[in-house]
Amino acid sequence: MNYLLHLLIYLDIYLIVAMSLNLLIGYGGLLQVAHAAYYGIGAYAAALIMLKLGWGFLPAIGLAMVVAGILSLAVSIPAWRFRGDYFVMVSLAVQSVAYSLLYNWIDLTNGPFGLTGIPRPSIFGYKFDSMRTIALFSSIITGICILGMVLILRSPWGRLLKAMRDDELAARSLGKNTRLVKLQTFMIASALAAVAGSLYAAYVSYIDPTSFTLDESILMLSMVIVGGTGNIRGPLVGAFILIAIPEALRFVQIPDAVAANVRLMVYGLLLIIMAHFRPQGLAGTYRIQ
Amino acid sequence: MQILLNGIIQGLLLALVGLGFALVYNATGIFHVAQGVIYAGAPFILLACIQSGLGWPVGVFISLMFAASISCLYEVGNHWPLQKKEASKEIHLIASLGAYIALVQLIAIIWGNETRVLRSGVDTTFSFSGIILTHSQLLGGAIALVVFAAFLFWLWRTDIGLRLRALADNPIQLSLMGYDIRLLRLAVFGLSGLLTAVAAFLMALDIGFDPHSGLQMILLAMVATIIGGRGSFLGPILGAILLGILRSQIGWFTSARWEEAVTFFLLVLFLFFRPQGIFGRAGRLEAQT
Repeated sequence: MNYLLHLLIYLDIYLIVAMSLNLLIGYGGLLQVAHAAYYGIGAYAAALIMLKLGWGFLPAIGLAMVVAGILSLAVSIPAWRFRGDYFVMVSLAVQSVAYSLLYNWIDLTNGPFGLTGIPRPSIFGYKFDSMRTIALFSSIITGICILGMVLILRSPWGRLLKAMRDDELAARSLGKNTRLVKLQTFMIASALAAVAGSLYAAYVSYIDPTSFTLDESILMLSMVIVGGTGNIRGPLVGAFILIAIPEALRFVQIPDAVAANVRLMVYGLLLIIMAHFRPQGLAGTYRIQ
Repeated sequence: MQILLNGIIQGLLLALVGLGFALVYNATGIFHVAQGVIYAGAPFILLACIQSGLGWPVGVFISLMFAASISCLYEVGNHWPLQKKEASKEIHLIASLGAYIALVQLIAIIWGNETRVLRSGVDTTFSFSGIILTHSQLLGGAIALVVFAAFLFWLWRTDIGLRLRALADNPIQLSLMGYDIRLLRLAVFGLSGLLTAVAAFLMALDIGFDPHSGLQMILLAMVATIIGGRGSFLGPILGAILLGILRSQIGWFTSARWEEAVTFFLLVLFLFFRPQGIFGRAGRLEAQT
């Protein structure tokens, strides 16, 4: 039972991540590989706020979202000028620099040793400290995020975002401020990634920089690409599949030594198959271009 | 002086990989991440050949051929089918990333995740006027210089070199002239594989090798290509040497931990202030992407 709850919590975390990344890839048309950096910034910010300032969980999430949102300027301002593979490179640079900072800024982040003893989430004096309550709590937060995402995308702002993705010049010629929209998109996506990061930090109560590497970004990217881009259900399907694959592989008799390798190999093969046969993903509507 | 020389040699080896990357990138516009597999895998093939008693020359020949055919296989199995569907650059990148992940994990499953070495014992050193170089460094620098000379001669003085430059310039025009683009692209991929494998051998001889070193190297090669200038072949070589010198200076004067951060910071500086690179021709951003 605890195993299933553990999976549910991970699924919740990655649902938020995949959904926020889809906002960039599927609605913004910007392929970015720095999402794990913002996930990590969120996790570190929330953990440090709780550990050093002694704040509660909800204010810590709020402040972590603000921090990630402000730091998202590092990718959103370049996105004004760069598209396509140029932008992929900028986000790659951001990912590397962010990881390097988490790893090397020892005074703040404790470097490679990570942060320990992060408190479990608690709200109004009620502590979520059993698996069951944490799973409930993270599912509620994920539900709120999904609802918020649906509302955002149905609003005029969501339509403007799609218009910008399909033809930026046309959107600008109609008097829409596309630069501002890009800033807002990155802020929302990074803030959501920070929510997922805070949940992760509070759940495992120990974080170190190796959870926020380029590989993690690639895993997040795979979720969105396998699941599908450009609608709500796509990334949800993707997160579900990529969380389910390693668990399914457990039931095939694979020696432990190569289990992690086989899992990553399956991810890689999925990416190739998707690129060739279904560029919009399993449940997606938008083809990356 | 010692550090400068170390940096130059490191840069020369990086330049071989950078040239392999730039060849594919200039000729086809593909972000050839899967090149990392060749960098990581070629030394394993060589080691397997030597351990089975084939001797160095035969082993080197076999693994070079292997590298070239793997590289051609990418083109035949992955990129040409996508090209026929007129897939976008992002899709090419995703497919290439998928191939990289899947094949690197295959290498790790076959040979394990540990770091290996090609030679046993401590490397012999040469010293003259206070500068100490190891045998492998000297060999690496010399072979890299010979390969560059041969490549540039081939590029600038032969008919196929001319066609290659035409392919980099305008592939559609070239195919309208009646040249077989498919064959030329295949040659480009094969050559890129050869260059990468040579660099991988020399680097493996110097510092050893493991299955996961490929991506790191390709990212550096990519930075070198951008700094040197897209569309140019001399650019990546000089860019890589510059990068090698810079990285060794940082490693010596501050700490090796900051090498990554400074490298990617440099990339961002270039993207903002001179996106066409040192040798690139300035063009409109829209036209380039």
